[in-house]
Amino acid sequence: MSRLAQLVRTADWTGWLGATIVLVMMGAAVAAPLIAPYDPVAISIEHRLSAPGAEHWLGTDQAGRDVLSRIIYGARASLAVGIGAVIIGALLGVSAGLFAAYAGGLGDQITMRIVDGVASIPLLVWAIAIVGVLGVGPVTIGSLQLPNEVKIVTLVGCLFSPVFARVTYAVAKRIVGADYVKARYLQGASHWQIVLGEVLPNCLSPIIVQATLLVAIGIVIEASISFVGLGVQPPQPSWGTMLSDARNALYSGEWWLPVFPGLAISVTVIGFNLLGDAVRDLFDPRNEARTLVA
Amino acid sequence: MFRLLAGRFLASLGTLFFVGLVLFALTRAGPGSPARIVLGADATSDQIAQFEQANGLDRPFLEQYVVWLCDVLRGDLGKSFVTGRDVAGEIADALPVTLSIVLFAFAIALVVGLGIGISAALRPGRLFASVTRLGVVLGLSIPAFWLGIVLIRFVAVDLRWLPPGGYAPLSAGLTAHLQTIAMPAISLAVYYIAVLARMTAASLQDALRGDYVRTARAMGLSSPRIVAYALLNALPPVVNLAALSFGYMFGWALIIEQVFNIPGLSRALLNAISQRDFLLLQGIVFLFTAIFVIANLGADLVNRVLDPRQRSAA
Repeated sequence: MSRLAQLVRTADWTGWLGATIVLVMMGAAVAAPLIAPYDPVAISIEHRLSAPGAEHWLGTDQAGRDVLSRIIYGARASLAVGIGAVIIGALLGVSAGLFAAYAGGLGDQITMRIVDGVASIPLLVWAIAIVGVLGVGPVTIGSLQLPNEVKIVTLVGCLFSPVFARVTYAVAKRIVGADYVKARYLQGASHWQIVLGEVLPNCLSPIIVQATLLVAIGIVIEASISFVGLGVQPPQPSWGTMLSDARNALYSGEWWLPVFPGLAISVTVIGFNLLGDAVRDLFDPRNEARTLVA
Repeated sequence: MFRLLAGRFLASLGTLFFVGLVLFALTRAGPGSPARIVLGADATSDQIAQFEQANGLDRPFLEQYVVWLCDVLRGDLGKSFVTGRDVAGEIADALPVTLSIVLFAFAIALVVGLGIGISAALRPGRLFASVTRLGVVLGLSIPAFWLGIVLIRFVAVDLRWLPPGGYAPLSAGLTAHLQTIAMPAISLAVYYIAVLARMTAASLQDALRGDYVRTARAMGLSSPRIVAYALLNALPPVVNLAALSFGYMFGWALIIEQVFNIPGLSRALLNAISQRDFLLLQGIVFLFTAIFVIANLGADLVNRVLDPRQRSAA
């Protein structure tokens, strides 16, 4: 709790702005059916391409669909892919990092070489190629039918995992060798108790920092893949497909079609980046420069 | 030093071998065999067997992979089953386009990113620092492809300063070439300007706090010389990040080429996907992976060469 109190006191306004943006976007995604003024896929030819105004705050697209409603529903795909990929990446990467650091020896070597291998895969190219090969149809598991985004979440998650594996490994390796961990071992604590009770809690702060910053990257990746037509499939709204549709409006007057979906992406990503930076300043102020690049 | 170089190089080759294997398996995981795709739904099983035998598709999987890899090492990426064209030739047509955009963007990112980073570190005033910080967050957050769309809308369509898309090769004249690649390269560079500026500023600030800087000041060395020394020490993480960025830029260039309708590797890749052209897809993705692995290797080696402390840690 003292950490939380410290957060409240020390975080500057940019961190709060980031947290607010993230909460608003998540709220919009969850409550989309309640707050969206129109049905996001309802076509209405007589209202097509109407400019932003009292009736349609952000205007309508070529099929007369309400842009604001589509942006609100589009937040679902973006956040689901961004957060989902980070959860998958964290589960895989943290387990691998903990295992390598705790097992040591050959297990350590092999695990971390696999991590190096996965890290040398160019994420975006592979995601595009693999979804391209598998096709953009839904995934059926038993009686469950999942949309195409599931492939993207899984792929991006796998390719995010080295980031988590490396930060976890770096901290865990130090903790495993510490005297108090040896003491816990001599007290008769099991491997699970040591790893989950002593090692993992110490790795959490860098993991949280990376997770927040990676959600931002995941959102841009989702939008980019949907933009080239391999992500969220029409008529389901997504910020990337909205921008792809907007390319037809570039030479006519409908400036709102390319502007608003892009603003939605940028604002959301700014939110996660500001929040991530604030969390990093709090947990790990020395490492201001350690940058994620994608 | 030589042993270190050789070791890293071999490790990268090994990585490429295994990653290539995964790629090879994945391109064959899609629905429909190449024979079925080429010969159509009416082909008899005899015809398919004949086609597979003629193209070595009936051989064991690993053997197919090794044969393909040996061909790749000789620069032969195979002949497309779909178009009958040479895959290497097709890639050779598209690669210079992508390369020229990426190189131009990389140059912009280096010059502007380092410039902003160094001035931010040397002028740690409140206002300048805040402006830089804001700019960095914006640069990191605005998706490159959206920036491209906005540039087309306002710079090309409204102001008519630059063509809205397409590509003119260098042979069509330098001005025409630069006009077509300026907006794509700028869109691509913005994210990396932010990344490099942040790293340069932080690393140089850190170096300027070093004891040797205080000693140099006390000795009365000129300011530019002190900054030059500090810069040399601040450089390794920046160069490392720049090399990694170079590898990543190729991936985003795919999306940017779509925005600007540029006939580069992006179009070749998406064509390969829509025509289910295995060998072309495999060749392009393998090329991107090789570039990425080499960029990673370069980042690693440059770090070790520039930073004597890391030289011994092999």
